Amino acid sequence: MNNILLAVLVLIGAPIIGCLASGVDRKITARLQGRVGPPLLQPYYDVKKLLSKDNMVVNASQNFYAVVYLVFIILSLLMLVFEQDFLMIIFVYTVASVALIVGGMSTGSPYARVGSSREIMAILSYEPVLILYALAIYLLTGTFKLSALLDKSSPLLMYTPLIFIAMIVVLNIKLKKSPFDYSTSHHGHQELVKGMTTEYSGPGFATIEIAHFYEYVFLTGLIFLFWASNPIIGVLIGIIAYLLVIVIDNITARVYWQWMLKLSWSVLLIISIVNIAFLYVSGAQLA
Amino acid sequence: MIENTVMLLILVPLLFSLLFVALPKSLYKILAWAFFIIGVVLSVTLVLDCLPTGGAGAFDVSESSFPMLENIVLVLEVLVILFILAVSAKYKNWPTLGLGIISAALFAYTYANVPGAEGASFNIDQFSQVMILIVNIVGTAIILFATGYMDIYEEHRHLHRQKTFYFTMSFFLAAMNGLVMVDTLGWLFLFWEITTLCSFVLISYNMDQEGINNGFRALALNLVGGITFSIAIILLSTKFNISTLSGVGTDAAAAAVALPVALLCIAGFAKSAQMPFQSWLLGAMVAPTPVSALLHSSTMVNAGVYLIVKLVPAYANTSLGTAIAVYGSFTFVMCSALALSQRNAKRVLAYSTIANLGLIIASAGIGTPLAVAAAIMLILFHAISKALLFLCTGEIEHTIGSRDIEDMSGLIKKAPLLTTLAALGMVSMLLPPFGVLLTKWVSMEAASSNPVVIVFLILGSALTTVYYAKWLGTILSSSMDKNAVPHKKPETYFPLSFLGLAIVVTSIFVFSIYHYFIEPQVNILLKAVPTISGQAGQFTTEIGAFAYAAIFVVLALAILIYLATKSMFKPRMTSYYMCGENNLERDRLMFRNGLCSYEKSSVSNIYLQNTFGESKLTTLGYAISIILIVIALAGGVL
Repeated sequence: MNNILLAVLVLIGAPIIGCLASGVDRKITARLQGRVGPPLLQPYYDVKKLLSKDNMVVNASQNFYAVVYLVFIILSLLMLVFEQDFLMIIFVYTVASVALIVGGMSTGSPYARVGSSREIMAILSYEPVLILYALAIYLLTGTFKLSALLDKSSPLLMYTPLIFIAMIVVLNIKLKKSPFDYSTSHHGHQELVKGMTTEYSGPGFATIEIAHFYEYVFLTGLIFLFWASNPIIGVLIGIIAYLLVIVIDNITARVYWQWMLKLSWSVLLIISIVNIAFLYVSGAQLA
Repeated sequence: MIENTVMLLILVPLLFSLLFVALPKSLYKILAWAFFIIGVVLSVTLVLDCLPTGGAGAFDVSESSFPMLENIVLVLEVLVILFILAVSAKYKNWPTLGLGIISAALFAYTYANVPGAEGASFNIDQFSQVMILIVNIVGTAIILFATGYMDIYEEHRHLHRQKTFYFTMSFFLAAMNGLVMVDTLGWLFLFWEITTLCSFVLISYNMDQEGINNGFRALALNLVGGITFSIAIILLSTKFNISTLSGVGTDAAAAAVALPVALLCIAGFAKSAQMPFQSWLLGAMVAPTPVSALLHSSTMVNAGVYLIVKLVPAYANTSLGTAIAVYGSFTFVMCSALALSQRNAKRVLAYSTIANLGLIIASAGIGTPLAVAAAIMLILFHAISKALLFLCTGEIEHTIGSRDIEDMSGLIKKAPLLTTLAALGMVSMLLPPFGVLLTKWVSMEAASSNPVVIVFLILGSALTTVYYAKWLGTILSSSMDKNAVPHKKPETYFPLSFLGLAIVVTSIFVFSIYHYFIEPQVNILLKAVPTISGQAGQFTTEIGAFAYAAIFVVLALAILIYLATKSMFKPRMTSYYMCGENNLERDRLMFRNGLCSYEKSSVSNIYLQNTFGESKLTTLGYAISIILIVIALAGGVL
């Protein structure tokens, strides 16, 4: 019974939090650029308006992929909340990412295909880091099940500082923020038009936006795990990481995707592997 | 009972191979249907026969019938060697001739010096049953597909060799059936060499220079494996008095038999086309698609991993096992990277096969009950998915006339059913809740005790996602041009749909499969059972859990939501957004360029040729894999 309540709470609460987070993002970004910015609830107004629009599509199946994207983001968030196997959460999350990519490509628009190709490269950049993060949790708790991590009294971050740094960059890539905002951009004026989501409009695009709200919560949830032993500090770290990503978004210019791949496969992977090697050698266990 | 079924499993494919030769081409379709149905019935009968004896069956051939069968085996071995010598002399392929002569010398030495056995034994454990099911259901489905494929194929190339083709394909299945059921090493070796020979005949099917060269490469590399195999047999029988496969792990201390076991594993690596032997499987792509499907999924390469997994008790938890695990995971990451750089769909699949076999070998090398269970399950799921993908590629090639991934964009509009099946095959290779991903997840969790192996697996896994995702996106993308018409024939579309259905059904019933086949088998091999428990669609190991049923439910939910909301939001079709430059009625993908003429936009996937290209990685792969094999051998001797 409690579980069902919690699930309903997540289903309703997560998009509200995600919507507010998105609004905060736009507000902060506007202030940093010397603008007043939209109201805090602007993302909600956007979605509401999108839902009332005509369902314009270039082919019959494109919205199906958007639904798969939404549903699997929700599933991975629920698996995270219910402390499931972390490795499996990552694979379920991959389903969502692949669905969005395929959805973009399925429209056949050249802009969408360029965006999807780049997003595929993003998977190549961040997925190894995510799985190494899962491996670190396994090494420190003896299981991939998150329930064990949440029983511990000492924070994960103490043993995984390098993976934490890598995860901040992963957060940056996954939220599609500058300098990694090349698969779909948040601003309408870039050469990619709207990347992967170019051909999505109306309700289909609203689905993707709602999925993004869930995804915000899911991704900061991954950061929360670094200090899950004390939920307040965990939430704070999640918020700080999110604000950091917004600041990085505003102070950096977009890079080539090749650059991201090099950064990821050299720096990020190496620091993560060094961190993992340390865990193997020291045989440390979370208290 | 069981003796009869075993004999029928070997004799029926032989009978069909003769029927294919004897009967005219017009009857091939009926023959193939009959072969498929009989194959399904026989393999299921074998599983049922084993039920009363606790799931596994074993029996010996001795006394009256043994001398006769032993003589047949000897004669066949001599014939195989003579055939190899004859063809390599005929085509003046000296390296193969040299290897053939070495094999002949080893055979003569074995005949003279190794004491003759009084009996031979068959050992049909659960793993053999799984293999029998794969060979006789997937294998015959491939032959059925071939009857709808080969006519067009031969028409394009002006060939008339279908009798040879079907004869060899059926013969191949007979040899494979023998290989996975027999326990006596001498007989196993005969079947091993017959599969090598059959693959040579099938790869050089086109009889052009390229085909013959690639056929000889396959023959030569597999002869290397055959030579290490026969040295291992000699060592095992003269030094340790072991003559059966099941005896290798149990009759002697693991450390003592390490060298022959390492040699047997090298034979397995060659057969499974692991680095540095991978070139033969890539060369095998010149053959017709059903041949590739057969070699890659249900027969040839599975023989190698079958042998390696069967040898698990001899190297589990030894340094040799660790070396094998590192070697397998290295092949996994290297071939996944190579697959990323390929545009040719068949080459992508070939590298993907080699990579997945590497994953199987890595899991076997880790040697924990959990890992071995993952290895056996991966053989099963990989066989089904890969057979489907190869056959789909063949059918796509006949539909659009190309096997280049870039040419496949817009396929969903041209051949919707075929594309859906191919997409299902790809999704089943990389995403939950399908079997391959489930087993990959199990093997990753099992591998996390070994830092090198797990890092290789993580990198390889990300690369796998990438090369399948971009292919998946390409075939599902809808372009506006439509100029190909699928020719739907029941004998091609039935096997495809059947395999697609098999993927879904085996993935749904994964726990029953695990419970009935895999768990007892791991118990036989390691005398220990993985602590996997499962109920109501949940798969729980000692280090993780996976509620695969939940994912199926959510997938169904996604489809339901989509269908339910479809009427709520009536879709209105429109054209692409091309920044206002797409004013042409003719083709809506046209841009107006600076000279006011029109140019069609074209977008291709990213292949990273400069990083992961064959020219960049192959040499590195050869060097490191050879070093790893030498380390494995050295670890075996010391």
